[in-house]
Amino acid sequence: MEEKWSYLADEYRAMLYRIAFSNMKNRADAEDAVQEAFLRYMKDEKPIQNKEHEKAWLIRTTIHICLDILKSGWYQRTVPWNESFENAAKNIYLPYQVKDDRTLDAVLQLPVHYRNPIYLFYYEDYSIREIAEILNEKEGTVKTRLRRGREEVKKLLTERRP
Amino acid sequence: MGIQEVQGNCNAQAYQKNRNAGRGEGFQKRFLQNLKDRDEAKQAAADAQVTVGKIGMKPGIRVSAAATQEAMQAVEVRHMSYEESDHVKIAVTEGYTLKGKREESADAKVYVEAKYDDGRLEAYQVEINKISANTNQKIEQFALETMNEV
Repeated sequence: MEEKWSYLADEYRAMLYRIAFSNMKNRADAEDAVQEAFLRYMKDEKPIQNKEHEKAWLIRTTIHICLDILKSGWYQRTVPWNESFENAAKNIYLPYQVKDDRTLDAVLQLPVHYRNPIYLFYYEDYSIREIAEILNEKEGTVKTRLRRGREEVKKLLTERRP
Repeated sequence: MGIQEVQGNCNAQAYQKNRNAGRGEGFQKRFLQNLKDRDEAKQAAADAQVTVGKIGMKPGIRVSAAATQEAMQAVEVRHMSYEESDHVKIAVTEGYTLKGKREESADAKVYVEAKYDDGRLEAYQVEINKISANTNQKIEQFALETMNEV
């Protein structure tokens, strides 16, 4: 059990945290969501077919947990302490250098149906097929959301330009 | 009725004469236009072959014919991750990502992988020494940046 936990943490924690943070935009809630996803995975009795399936399951579950938290009445009545949504991009520690924080900030402000496909495609480098599997959508839907989400990002960046 | 028939024949002959004359001119005009169109179409197809070649076209990243022939060569996609890359460019507003890695086997060569939001995945090997100094080609510029990152 301990070995499995350690393997899961090493393999997926950083990536799942980034995905959770892109939805929650604060550290504490992102960490809670990831832990909850791991717990559900450990309790889940269904056999996992392969590593790709395992990863997809964990990402999907993490996103669902985030969305559940965001929808909860308690969350909507509270504001995270001492954290600003405006600079959320600075708290996502990507394994590569991103020169343009403004774009990532804009991506994090997108509505959820654009944010997750765009974040997974550009910042976690998933293919359209993989995103379709993770989000349980058709590939065509993912492509459309990527295209429309891109237009929304452009709009956000234009609005913010000084 | 008889008079009408005679008049009718005269009109018919005049019509035939005019019709043929018109047809001849029209035919010649259309024939010349067709020849011109065909030559233009042939030229356009030849240009497209040179420009597109092995490398696909995308509004976001334009690949010029010169760039295609000189510095860039389309290669098989290796599905390189961000972690494996020496340099990454994420262009959300333009709909693509670029990943670059300096080739270990060859000097001054960079492998570049491009992923587009319509699902296409393309890979190029770029010879740095063949890139023109004032290139405005996105992939060549990215290859130069990758070389400088290392």
